[in-house]
Amino acid sequence: MNTLTTIDELGFAPALQQDVLEDTTSDHALLEATRSGDQDAFAELVSRYRNQITSYIYRMTNDYDGAVDLAQETFVRVYRAADRYQRSYAFSTYIYRIATNLAISELRKRKRRKLVSLTGFFQQSDGGEPKEFNPPDVRPLQDSDLVDTERRNAVQRAIGTLPEKYRAPLILRDVDGRSYDEIARILETSEGTVKSRISRARGFLREKMRAYL
Amino acid sequence: MRKNICEVIRRELDELMLDETCSTAAVDHLRECGACREFHEKQTKLRQIVGSLGTVAAPADFDFRLRARLANESSSAASSFGFLAWPSLQRGFAAVVVLVVFAIGAYLVRNALNQPPAVTDVAKQTPAPVVTETPKPAQETVTPTAAEKPKPQDVLVVQHKRPQGNRIDSAGLTAIKNKPLATRELSSTGATVVGNKEPVGTSTPFSIDASSLQYFRVSVDDGRGNAKTISVPTISFGSQRLMQNANQLAPKKVW
Repeated sequence: MNTLTTIDELGFAPALQQDVLEDTTSDHALLEATRSGDQDAFAELVSRYRNQITSYIYRMTNDYDGAVDLAQETFVRVYRAADRYQRSYAFSTYIYRIATNLAISELRKRKRRKLVSLTGFFQQSDGGEPKEFNPPDVRPLQDSDLVDTERRNAVQRAIGTLPEKYRAPLILRDVDGRSYDEIARILETSEGTVKSRISRARGFLREKMRAYL
Repeated sequence: MRKNICEVIRRELDELMLDETCSTAAVDHLRECGACREFHEKQTKLRQIVGSLGTVAAPADFDFRLRARLANESSSAASSFGFLAWPSLQRGFAAVVVLVVFAIGAYLVRNALNQPPAVTDVAKQTPAPVVTETPKPAQETVTPTAAEKPKPQDVLVVQHKRPQGNRIDSAGLTAIKNKPLATRELSSTGATVVGNKEPVGTSTPFSIDASSLQYFRVSVDDGRGNAKTISVPTISFGSQRLMQNANQLAPKKVW
């Protein structure tokens, strides 16, 4: 009689491993477990998406503390609506859609409040969001790291001045690297609209970042 | 024609991810067209800068705050709808208690609104007018001398401003009650002649027996303890005597 030395020799190990892998990696499975009251499953979902969602909302709103609050609100809504969740889309699409709606709502609230910026006197002629005038600092910098930092700051400010309908697809595409199809689902619009908005957003940014290109 | 080709190539380049390779047609076009090459270089640089923004990390206490928020929301939701979970008897009792409390509160508020304010407050609110005050003892008439007589322009008649409408509020009534009596000298202005058209009194007429000697007594009480009794001797008028002898003086069958 042969003695078993490893668990693989039992014969059912591969199937067991596959089940465990699917249960632990699928967002849908985690949400199902959350629905049945498993708090650890929800904690796992949060740990997977907290950085992405916080970062995305931060790029949208350009306000870190507000972005953290909105990211938390996103997860609260996911938790509350776990019973109504449908598996027709990817979970990432679902949570990004919630985050986008919250970020856009926050941007509109700010617009209603009409926060006056000292540099925000340059308004778009078509009645869009006010575009801040950010003249580039053309003085030569000694350190290339400082140059990169300055570029990143400048592009962040430039993104912050884009109208919201151009801002969201640009961030989702160029910062988060999502596909047009997924962006269209997140924004609930057509793929062609997404492509044209991203193209226009890049055109705006090119104009603003001319000194850095 | 060339412009259309440039637009098509630029659109293709625009839709590609940074790490994706473009088509051979696009590569050939970029080799020939300097404008498109410049566009592609700038676009790539811009996308590299935007892509370098990277991901911002959530704060370390993100999970803890989220758990606290969820716990807080669930507890507040439970407390908000806990009333519905009570038995019907308890709910009815709670509703009755709420109604009773509300009724008592309304009664107290109403009483507080109707309560007259303190006299000191009224005294503070009304400025001290130049008023000739005459403390009137009972059954005593004060006749000021000519020197003490105030001039008409010095006499101030305190008039409380009445609110809109015909009702006097409680504060006004209290102020009127507490206001010291003031007399006004009108002897120099002359008396008003009352014509015979105006009704003099509303009391029912009564007969006066002129045959016997009686005193007609009138008591006047101002309602504040000051009473005055006036005794008037019997008055007889000529017409009364005339009426007593009317049968003798009247011509017969001539009336």
